[in-house]
Amino acid sequence: MIEVEGLEKTYFAGSVATPVLKGVSFRIDEGEYVAIMGTSGTGKSTLMNILGCLDKPTAGRYLLDGTDVVSLDDDALSGLRNEKIGFVFQQFHLLERATAMRSVMLPLIYADDYPENAEERAEKALAAVGLADRRQYRPNELSGGQQQRVAIARALITDPEIILADEPTGALDRKSGLEIMAIFKKLHRQGRTIILVTHDRALAENAQRIIVLEDGKIATDGAVEKQRDPDLELDTLGAGEDKK
Amino acid sequence: MRMQRIVGQGIQALGANKMRTFFMMAGTIVGIAALTIIMALGKGTEKKVMKRVETFGPRAMMLIAGGGKNAGPDMTVTTLTMDDARAVREQVKDLEIVTPIAWRFRINVKYDANRYQAVFWGVEPSWHEAWNWYAAEGDGITDGDVATMARVCVIGQTIRRKLFGDSDPVGENIYVNKVRLTVKGVLEKKGTSPMGTDFDNRIIVPITTAMRRVLNVDHVGAIRIITRDAALMPRQIKEIRALIHARHHITPPQEDDFRIASPVSIAKMARGTSRTLSILLIALAGLSLIVGGVVLMNILLISVGERQKEIGLRRAVGATRRDILFQFLAESLTVTCIGMLAGSGLGALVTLILRQSTKIPIVLSWEPFALSLAFALLVGTFFGIQPARKAALLNPVETLR
Repeated sequence: MIEVEGLEKTYFAGSVATPVLKGVSFRIDEGEYVAIMGTSGTGKSTLMNILGCLDKPTAGRYLLDGTDVVSLDDDALSGLRNEKIGFVFQQFHLLERATAMRSVMLPLIYADDYPENAEERAEKALAAVGLADRRQYRPNELSGGQQQRVAIARALITDPEIILADEPTGALDRKSGLEIMAIFKKLHRQGRTIILVTHDRALAENAQRIIVLEDGKIATDGAVEKQRDPDLELDTLGAGEDKK
Repeated sequence: MRMQRIVGQGIQALGANKMRTFFMMAGTIVGIAALTIIMALGKGTEKKVMKRVETFGPRAMMLIAGGGKNAGPDMTVTTLTMDDARAVREQVKDLEIVTPIAWRFRINVKYDANRYQAVFWGVEPSWHEAWNWYAAEGDGITDGDVATMARVCVIGQTIRRKLFGDSDPVGENIYVNKVRLTVKGVLEKKGTSPMGTDFDNRIIVPITTAMRRVLNVDHVGAIRIITRDAALMPRQIKEIRALIHARHHITPPQEDDFRIASPVSIAKMARGTSRTLSILLIALAGLSLIVGGVVLMNILLISVGERQKEIGLRRAVGATRRDILFQFLAESLTVTCIGMLAGSGLGALVTLILRQSTKIPIVLSWEPFALSLAFALLVGTFFGIQPARKAALLNPVETLR
């Protein structure tokens, strides 16, 4: 599904070379829920940009669903992102003053074949994140958690191979964050491949597997012994609030 | 299809920030409105000019006694003669009519107790043809009249009204400069010139009668010449000038004692300074369009800066550089095209109000609209391409950070 081998990335500022990734190799299979962890400056964002086909490595191999990403040009990368990757960002990045429906349908604008049932698909995607009744709401009429759910619906609409989430709860309160994580858990159960990029170990423990980056290399790569259950945590949180 | 969706995204982005869109549009609206009004004014002047040329005759020339720039002949110049007319007729090729005219601007006419001042023309029969102006009642001037120095005249409609009222003038005697002439006909009504001259305030007599009996002169005031083909006119004017130079023994730089009016010179005179002025105003309108374009470009550039995250997001979900380029170009072109429609509408409105409330000649036509559309596309593309390129070249990784 995803196969990276000897991935290196070096940034050049004039004559100064700054290596950020120094040979990263791993494999992520279909249906896996993987967290990529690391403190800032460990190359975590760079790795995410490469996995998301937004950036190319200086050296190494990246196979996405059998496609050799490194050899592709900018336009082909755009097509690949459109088809195979659903992004969820920390800052949501919804379209300014656009309704939830329009934000969700955005990736279809750039699809090679615009589906006839675009609206129906957007409605389904919004329903999947529990926002069926917020279709015509604009970002300023939605809470942070709701905005992030719109962003997840947007990531789902093209039915991508991978959902790539970069600190998806970073801008949210605890409860909204747990709700988002519950959605990811549900998507994982439905068979989606999810890559969660975060600096937060607690958040990473929502995944099945954690890859820890340190100084541009993989420090550890292993299964999570006790996967967190956001639904349970939400219940406890709810119970805690009830007591008050 | 993809292009259509991308243009749609651009239009939606414009709709999302209407204030910004309006400011981008303002320069185009003002520039196009100014252009529309100025061109309507110019077109109005041109129509007036065309009317004067038409009145003068598109195939006509006038060889006029006296140099200088005055409209009419110089009465003190006595060098233009019937022989000059004959020489032009015989020596310049492809002329249809050459007809000399002896004239006075004001001459007293009298019938019974009624007096009036008329424009007086002594003419040959071909004059009727040369001006396409014939007798509506009675007869015109004939070869016989010229040969016999007949004491006859043909009068214009204004003279007829002033001297005879409702009664029939044909066969009556009138006094012109104290010379008794019999009215043999009444000219067709010609109306008023664009300059306000009454064409019907006119009396024509055989040229021999005019020169011998009324004016007592040997010279003529002008010679009207009609060419067979307007295209030959520039060459014929040169030939006529050379011929008269030779006959009058004039060698440049000695000053001419005649001048030749043609549709070209008439149009030039009628336009006067209005053409220069209108070119200047069009340049001003063009300048305001360019300024508007620069403003548009700057707002777009700022907007590209402000919308970096949107651009990054679009790139992340699959937009290519071309998609982004086309979206911003579409935004720029939509702004200039809608601005152009609004500007044309505003310009047309002002034009119509001007036409209703003033006497300024104004003609609204499709040309300013077509020119405006061309300008809108040009300005939109030219000033949109730079911001669009900037947007397209943004690195999505950096904008999404």
